[in-house]
Amino acid sequence: MTLKIWGRASSSNVQPVMWCIGELGLPHERIDVGGKFGGLETEEFRSLNPNGKIPVLQDGELIVWESRAILRYLAAEYGDETFWPEAPRNRAPIDQWLEWAKTTIDEALITGVFWGYWRTPKAERDMETVHRHWTDVNAAMAKADARLEERAFLCGDDLTLADIGFGYLLYRYFTLPLTRPDRPNLAAYYQRLTDRQPYREHIMIDYHELFGRLDF
Amino acid sequence: MAITVWGRATSSNVQVVMWAIGELGLEYVRHDVGHKFGGTDTPEYLAMNPNGKVPTIKDGDLVLYESQAILRYLAAKYGDAQFWPTDLATRAELDLWCEWIRTTFQPHFNYKIFWQMVRVGAAERDEAQIARDAESLKPVTAQLEKRIGAGPFLNGEYLCWADIVVGHLLYRYYTIDFDKAATPNLDAYYQRLTERPAYAEHAMVSYELLRVP
Repeated sequence: MTLKIWGRASSSNVQPVMWCIGELGLPHERIDVGGKFGGLETEEFRSLNPNGKIPVLQDGELIVWESRAILRYLAAEYGDETFWPEAPRNRAPIDQWLEWAKTTIDEALITGVFWGYWRTPKAERDMETVHRHWTDVNAAMAKADARLEERAFLCGDDLTLADIGFGYLLYRYFTLPLTRPDRPNLAAYYQRLTDRQPYREHIMIDYHELFGRLDF
Repeated sequence: MAITVWGRATSSNVQVVMWAIGELGLEYVRHDVGHKFGGTDTPEYLAMNPNGKVPTIKDGDLVLYESQAILRYLAAKYGDAQFWPTDLATRAELDLWCEWIRTTFQPHFNYKIFWQMVRVGAAERDEAQIARDAESLKPVTAQLEKRIGAGPFLNGEYLCWADIVVGHLLYRYYTIDFDKAATPNLDAYYQRLTERPAYAEHAMVSYELLRVP
């Protein structure tokens, strides 16, 4: 059965879902909505997601929204024992790093820096706040760098769901025109991600169309 | 073997874990750390949790942090098929409401209204902003009202892990005095939660210690 995903490719919430689908090799069809495509206010879309946000996934009868709930569903339904282990004891550390990326970096990087800096017109930027968030992001990246000193991926030798929930942030982290401390393990990890075809296809998406645009 | 939990009882993230432990009837030892208790920046604590936040748990030789990951671990390991549904589609639909609480309700209620009314001193409090935030919270709460429906719980007859995520903030929501949407389903749902001993013990925890006068 072909999965259906609603959401524009440039959305940082759509991207981890698409990357996950790519890594798992699942047949899919993506429908552009949100941002310049609009379509989030229609009755049809609201019947899929009353919260009016992207991404939304349809798998047969099932409708799921909220990107991280979608990720956990896809991993549980289609992932193998390495990607998202069945035993609670083995899954929990992966889940912990998945959560860590969300609670520690996601908001600071996407809301604080990407919106506060990239998407806010220059004259309206509050650079003091942007820099505070950027400092928080870099402090968290230092922890990831330490973690990656002895591991190819966040939870070992292989890519897991934790890497999807964290790694999707790195394209923007490494390409935003801001100064970054030197983090060799993190840089090597990012390099490994960019070697993966689904990462290049779904995450490394030019975001210049979003520059200085707060309106969607 | 008892599960060890590090984290002050007044933390909403600790409450998620403790309420689950209570519902699952697990043996535990809880140590007060964080906020006025300190103890999250010691080398011993940072070795367990390099972020220096609460909660952290230890179950046998597994050390785990991040409250939602802990909750899902406890549910999967110790919960029955009611508490942690085995059907993946059922679980995904419940999981999305757990995420919704955190991406949509919590930032609005906890970090704006609760923060302003409890953790900001009266002199600095912005009453006009609270009134605006209360107004824009109403359509958000209405979404939850619709999802709860007749209940009695999110997955029907029995409490599941998603009720822990959705319900743990409701004590704060209902005990703080601000202009709320009319939500009869949610009111009844909250009432049902308060009748559960584990909720009363672990989620209905006074936040007066956090209050800035």
